[in-house]
Amino acid sequence: MPQAEVMSIASPINLILASLFVVLLYWHFRPKPPVVLPRGPEPIVFRTYIPKTLIEFNGQGDRPVFLAVRGRVFDVTPGKNFYGPGGPYENFAGRDASRGLAHQSFDEEMLTKDLSAPLDDLKDLDADQLENLQSWEERFSEKYLVVGKLVAEGDPEAPAS
Amino acid sequence: MTDQPSLLRQLDAVLDSLVADWNIYTTIVAGIIAVFFVYSVISSKDPDVHPFLLARQSTGSPIRQPGESATYRSLETPHGFPLRLGLNVKDPGAPKWTAGRRGDLRDVWKAALRGSLNPDGTVAGQQGKIYTVLGKQAVEHSLSKVTQEINVIGRHLRESDVKTVAICLTDSVELLAAIFAGAFYGYKTIIVPHNFPAETLSAHLKHVQADALIAEAGSFDVSLVTKENKQLSVVLWVAKEGNRHMDWHEVPEGAKDNLEVSVWHELVEEQQDLAGMTVPEYDPSTPAPALNTVWPSSSQAGEFIDFQSENLVSAIAALNSALPRTQRFTSADLVLSIDSLARSYPLLQVMSALFSNASVALNSVAGEQVDFALATAGVSPTVIIASSRTMSNYHERIMQPHTGPISSLGRWMQSRTLEAGNMPSRNFFSQLAQIGPTAELSLDRLRLLCISHRVDGEASARLSSEQLTDLRVFTGARVVYALTGPGVAGAIAQTNVFDYRCCTGQSHFGAPLSSTEITLTGMSEANASDGLPEGQITVSGPAVVNGKTTLSSRGRISNDNTLELSS
Repeated sequence: MPQAEVMSIASPINLILASLFVVLLYWHFRPKPPVVLPRGPEPIVFRTYIPKTLIEFNGQGDRPVFLAVRGRVFDVTPGKNFYGPGGPYENFAGRDASRGLAHQSFDEEMLTKDLSAPLDDLKDLDADQLENLQSWEERFSEKYLVVGKLVAEGDPEAPAS
Repeated sequence: MTDQPSLLRQLDAVLDSLVADWNIYTTIVAGIIAVFFVYSVISSKDPDVHPFLLARQSTGSPIRQPGESATYRSLETPHGFPLRLGLNVKDPGAPKWTAGRRGDLRDVWKAALRGSLNPDGTVAGQQGKIYTVLGKQAVEHSLSKVTQEINVIGRHLRESDVKTVAICLTDSVELLAAIFAGAFYGYKTIIVPHNFPAETLSAHLKHVQADALIAEAGSFDVSLVTKENKQLSVVLWVAKEGNRHMDWHEVPEGAKDNLEVSVWHELVEEQQDLAGMTVPEYDPSTPAPALNTVWPSSSQAGEFIDFQSENLVSAIAALNSALPRTQRFTSADLVLSIDSLARSYPLLQVMSALFSNASVALNSVAGEQVDFALATAGVSPTVIIASSRTMSNYHERIMQPHTGPISSLGRWMQSRTLEAGNMPSRNFFSQLAQIGPTAELSLDRLRLLCISHRVDGEASARLSSEQLTDLRVFTGARVVYALTGPGVAGAIAQTNVFDYRCCTGQSHFGAPLSSTEITLTGMSEANASDGLPEGQITVSGPAVVNGKTTLSSRGRISNDNTLELSS
């Protein structure tokens, strides 16, 4: 009896297609969460250093390399090949490098030996040396971040240990 | 071995029986699926802006001070570069490669008079117009007519040798003219909101030692003001059309003898032949005078904000550049301000519009709390500048109650498009969505809503993310939502015009403008490293009076580097 086979809306193929349509609808209108980017690196906290705390940042091991120029502490870790251990400027790592840069000399004599002593006031430099220092400082400011400042031990601004 | 073929055969049989059931309904459903598939492929568009630009909207500085957050800046002005200082005005004849000047308000008016520019920088010369909306009708003023008024009023005040002029007017072309006259003729302008009682106005004038007052004729008891303010030497009345037959020259009792009283329209009529249609020549290196506004504070008197010309131009330039190139004001725009020009955000947006040669419409009822539908009648603007108070009132009283099931369906469809990052175009669904909520509005051309919120404004006026989506759907316009603060010209931060994301709760305020940078101060160092930075909002930059200000409100920088108010 062909008449008995009434066209049915609930046939399996209709159900399959209908559910496919529902899935498509959902796929199209489903709420999409907004794009989220991971948070960037945490900012470095600006700190006040004294020579004794600065010297820890000499690049030994995994530590960053800092050096100070006229009281400003630069994070020179990106230039670790130069300023870190084994580099040509390794003496400056973790130290006040002002005098050495002004003299264009990377010897140990240029550093203030006594870490408790007041900061080098650089009063005896001549005009050429000051200019030299100035150009170094400008180069550092362009390339590296100032992460802190250097004061002498016992300075009113020095952090209480 | 026999297993596999039988499995295949079974599968074949199942498919056979499935397909055997194919009938007219199957064809219909298959047809619908095909149509839907084609529709979703055709209708899919790239979002208006790359989603990554919304996921991180400002950049934090790599260094922070102890007890403070990093300093956040607009993506336009990265760290290590100067913030936006000014309008970058290039004088004709200056060498091409030189940097432009910062400019001042005089350059804004000059640019408006010059007319629009072609894309290649040559002058096309299409000037904007200024309209004043009075109820349902709009009165048109040509810029050259306004220039005449600037010259007449400027000369009059210069001849009287005044240094500080208080302007107490409703939003009108006279208010704009008086401000520009101040820039060209070298007097300091104090914009005093017009709705103060005479006692407060008098106290304000005394506080700033104003020696001239421009006010609406008959709007307050002048003898009270002149009695208290002996330094006042000039009063200039602006008489409305209906009041012009009256004699406004009477010197009030108790005023000092040499008080000079005159009427704006009479001065203009008498002297317009002398005044000329061009602005006076000026030396751009001379500084333009300051402009003061009153920031409403808890005490009734309010607080005077002494904007220098540098603050203003920096904010004008930043407001302009905060909009992406395709969304900036152009000479085809008509910018309507329904927020009082006594507030810096609407004032500087209007200045930005004039600088971009857009037409400007001013409404005399404009203020922080106005009826949105009434205030926008009379003109068909493309851009509306309004306060958060006005918009949240409108949303609460009109939009929400009039959103029926049909509108809701339309809104839902449109908000899907918004979520995908596209501004829905005007189509069937937008008509559907707008049936109820905005039926009374005639905003066919509206494309942008600029909403500002005062940082110390009531919390109930703050707009939620949902409300901003409603505004986008129901008005068919993009929305920018800005945070303003005392001592900051223009705005502190403003949402990206393409940021349609709908989150729960109060909306954020986007990234700082390119004229400001934001640091949160007063953070406790203990929990500074984990979670979102939260602290008192400190704003610095060229748009800030004296370079830096700390606001009383606390804010938070959320995951997408946008500014939120904490409470």
